[in-house]
Amino acid sequence: MIKIEHLRKEYPNATPLKDVCVEINKDDVITIIGPSGTGKSTLIRCLNQLDPPTSGKVWVDGECITDKNCDISKIRRKMGMVFQSFNLFNHMTIIENIMAAPVDLLKKSSQQAYDDGMELLRTVGLAEKAFNYPDELSGGQKQRVAIARTLAMEPEIVLFDEPTSALDPEMVGEVEAVIRDLAKKGLTMMIVTHDMRFAREVSNRVFYMDEGGVYEDGTPQQIFDDPQKENTKRFIKRIKIFEKLITSRDFDFIKFNNDLDEFARKNLVPKKSLYRLRTVFEELCTQIIIPELEKDFVLSFQAEYSQKEETVTAAIRYSGKEFNPMDSGNFLSVSLAENASESICHSYSGEDEFTNTVTVKVK
Amino acid sequence: MNIEKTQNAAELEIKVRGRLDTATAPQLEAELKESLSGIEKLILDFAELDYLSSAGLRVLLSAQKTMNKQGEMVVRGINETIAEIFEVTGFCDILTIE
Ligand SMILES: Nc1ncnc2c1ncn2[C@@H]1O[C@H](COP(=O)(O)OP(=O)(O)OP(=O)(O)O)[C@@H](O)[C@H]1O
Ligand SMILES: [Mg+2]
Repeated sequence: MIKIEHLRKEYPNATPLKDVCVEINKDDVITIIGPSGTGKSTLIRCLNQLDPPTSGKVWVDGECITDKNCDISKIRRKMGMVFQSFNLFNHMTIIENIMAAPVDLLKKSSQQAYDDGMELLRTVGLAEKAFNYPDELSGGQKQRVAIARTLAMEPEIVLFDEPTSALDPEMVGEVEAVIRDLAKKGLTMMIVTHDMRFAREVSNRVFYMDEGGVYEDGTPQQIFDDPQKENTKRFIKRIKIFEKLITSRDFDFIKFNNDLDEFARKNLVPKKSLYRLRTVFEELCTQIIIPELEKDFVLSFQAEYSQKEETVTAAIRYSGKEFNPMDSGNFLSVSLAENASESICHSYSGEDEFTNTVTVKVK
Repeated sequence: MNIEKTQNAAELEIKVRGRLDTATAPQLEAELKESLSGIEKLILDFAELDYLSSAGLRVLLSAQKTMNKQGEMVVRGINETIAEIFEVTGFCDILTIE
């Protein structure tokens, strides 16, 4: 359906896309992941010519859209875009926002555009907001309207650039649900996202972008569970590992727990394992180890979840003299930590920066 | 965490929601300190308690000690996970669990 050949994009002081060659099939739902600045947004913008590529070709349904003679407005109609910010017209009602382009560009009658618009609003669950203004909607609702507005142009493919990253966390779910529905209905989509859990759920292909192109292309299973190339491996590993350094007794315990929840959510850690991991941290680190450490301490807490084996392991490292938390005499905390774990091993090495290491296999 | 109190003469019911941990246990402790005088029956409703750590257990222990002197204390509505915690720490022998 779309073929990208040797696509290159140069800016005066950056060349985010060096040589992109990929094909996108009809019904593909592709998520694009990768480190910041690797050209994910640039690729999306080059695809629908918001930002013309420096060289290379893009074919859509056999038509070369990078050709000078190509009717670009026709192409944009085929390719819808949804951005991070919703860009709705604030002086128009929701239904007017959706009707505007179909009337202007598709030359639909107002009645037809209205009927189709209402139908779309129903699919994103917002028919009752048709006569409200954008300011009267929440962020999640605005983004659902923005999706409906894009769909109103009857595109063959929709390109999303981080559609949920400007939303409050509690609104992410409703927008993701709409996108998931569209995937089920067979709409072809490309979605830039930082949310690996969502990428895994929604897409049949994942592009990992790095080094000026699509560095690795595979199914979610291939990319997330068994990446083949070096940079992909490193990137995936970094997402899968939770790491925090604690340097004060007054560290932000609530934030720590929220971050742990977020890590668990993104990595699909089962609820029970998360509960136990939380116990391991609180009992061993907060209750036993940290009160024991000298001022100016550094404690590192790392956790990793293996989806394949469904196991959580944690590593607690800290400086100072030899101290095994299991010998602390804090019966209550020790028994809770033990109950949450398969095994807890302490080791000491005078040579390392972190002299003490406690390795925990969470139950 | 969220605490909801209902008092009926000398009977006090406290419903604890969310996480009872290092960060929130002092809150429950302060709440109990303030309200236990003259109470003969303390009911702790844990039906919506999601998480309990040793910090929370210590607060329960001290409440139990206070109530031993002036009446009784019962814990109700606990889920499987909390039951397991009471089990492994021996708290099931100290507390009255309904
Ligand atoms: N309009 C522009 N002018 C100059 N340089 C640009 C422009 N747009 C992007 N760049 C540069 O191109 C590179 C890729 O940017 P791009 O926004 O595509 O990255 P990204 O992968 O989307 O990153 P993020 O994950 O942070 O959104 C960056 O080095 C950026 O500074
Ligand atoms: Mg971007």
